[in-house]
Amino acid sequence: MSRQRTRPTDAPASSEPAPVFHSGELLADTYEIRALLGTGGMGEVYEAHDRVLNRRVAIKIVRPGLNSDYLLREGRALAAIHHPGVVGVHTMGLHRGTAFLVLERVQGLSLDRMLIDRRGRGERFGVGEALDLLVAIADALSVVHRAGLAHRDVKPGNVMLAPGGRIVLMDFGLVLPQADRAGHRSVAGSLQYMPPEALTGDVAEGAATLGDVYALGVLGFELLSGIEPFDGAEPLQLYRAKTHAHQPRVSEHRSDVPVQLDELISQLMAPAPDDRPQGAEAAVWALRAMRGRMGNGGALRPLSVLIVDDDVDMRDALTLYVRAAAPDAEVESTQGGRQALKSVRRRVPDLLLLDLDLPDINGIEVCMLLRGMQLGDACMIVSVSGRATRADVELLQQLGVQSLEKGPALMTELVQLVQRLRPGLK
Amino acid sequence: MDALLAQVRAQFTASLPSKVAALQQLVARGVWEEARRAAHKLRGSASTYGHTALGATAGAIEEALLATSDQPDEEARAGIAARLAEAHAQAAQATRGVGDAE
Repeated sequence: MSRQRTRPTDAPASSEPAPVFHSGELLADTYEIRALLGTGGMGEVYEAHDRVLNRRVAIKIVRPGLNSDYLLREGRALAAIHHPGVVGVHTMGLHRGTAFLVLERVQGLSLDRMLIDRRGRGERFGVGEALDLLVAIADALSVVHRAGLAHRDVKPGNVMLAPGGRIVLMDFGLVLPQADRAGHRSVAGSLQYMPPEALTGDVAEGAATLGDVYALGVLGFELLSGIEPFDGAEPLQLYRAKTHAHQPRVSEHRSDVPVQLDELISQLMAPAPDDRPQGAEAAVWALRAMRGRMGNGGALRPLSVLIVDDDVDMRDALTLYVRAAAPDAEVESTQGGRQALKSVRRRVPDLLLLDLDLPDINGIEVCMLLRGMQLGDACMIVSVSGRATRADVELLQQLGVQSLEKGPALMTELVQLVQRLRPGLK
Repeated sequence: MDALLAQVRAQFTASLPSKVAALQQLVARGVWEEARRAAHKLRGSASTYGHTALGATAGAIEEALLATSDQPDEEARAGIAARLAEAHAQAAQATRGVGDAE
């Protein structure tokens, strides 16, 4: 199997034209072009010096004659997101009729480069190391998804490993709002990482982020196995491989991958969008929980769950539902918010199931306190409520808290959620 | 696990009439916040265990108690009493095995 590099299929072939800007050229009386950093099918990226703020920046352009809407879309998408895992945007401008985007200059090594280097040395990423990278990438991607956007070009070449352990998602040139149905029908991205539905231009309305989830799976496969999962360079060939009854498994290439991680990667790369975790948010919690439960030997310890509800009947039901999905789970339960905080301080659970209407502290306040104390970052918090308002749900979403509703569907939803945290258990 | 789930569900169902009675007691004593909390609990647990109609009735009682000030007026009390009667009937029906969970 070869590591075939592909470029966006909607990008025209490059005949290596001369760079649009030259070294020393001054843009908007501020940005002095220093060097050409790279060229792609559609544009160029330069390093420049910001004379006003005295800092290095990256300048991105779309080649003259090509649609510069991509650049505007990228700029607007990045402006909506502030996260260390997403490259920052400074401003946009126009110079000699060419629109340019001024971006944070992220210095480091691309994940693509690292994969190639490691393979050259006959090495591959350790399981823990790969999980750390996947958690960071999925985290950045979840922020993109929460902004209502789909990246559409997640691949090792668009992940930068910067100093200080910072992992940055780059190149938002193909980003589109989730709601842009017509846009998602256009075939764009890097073939190896594109989901089968995108290869045929058949992305369902509101399902574009599931393409990013798929790409995350392919990237995870590659990090862990050292090779790309699918053979082929042509869209049809790849489509057949990606929809074939036998799907590649990381465990076919290395024996030390935990069965749950092997299963999760397989779920991320599921041919049918509905079979994948529904968004990067779900994936990041599953990965984070897995990382937290990984001992030195690479084995996963049992899932730990804290149930907070003042109703004993609900505590019983939730305990049973968790055990139905993960029989070996370590389940603790408590009645109030104060006790919950005390319990989390003692030991951070992988999953916290929290009633909102508690007798002492309101559940939303508990979430805020946990997030504020950064005690809850290692655990997935899920509110389980009988009467959460829309405003409550939105606020909880901002706190990174998923919401489930008490009702007859709760068992199915909770079992699915626990199985995503603990893949491999059916 | 299925057998255990069925057992817990049966125990819960059997306890429904006493839960509704306890709620009625709280309403009769005029301890409105406690009554609201009891209605809230019944709303969540009944619907989770599959008794959606009873869950909805308990929800209506909770909302009625939330909508009133410290002292519900006559009209509000009458509305709550009617809902409680409905809840009693639904709980009894559930224990006879003809509730909406079955």
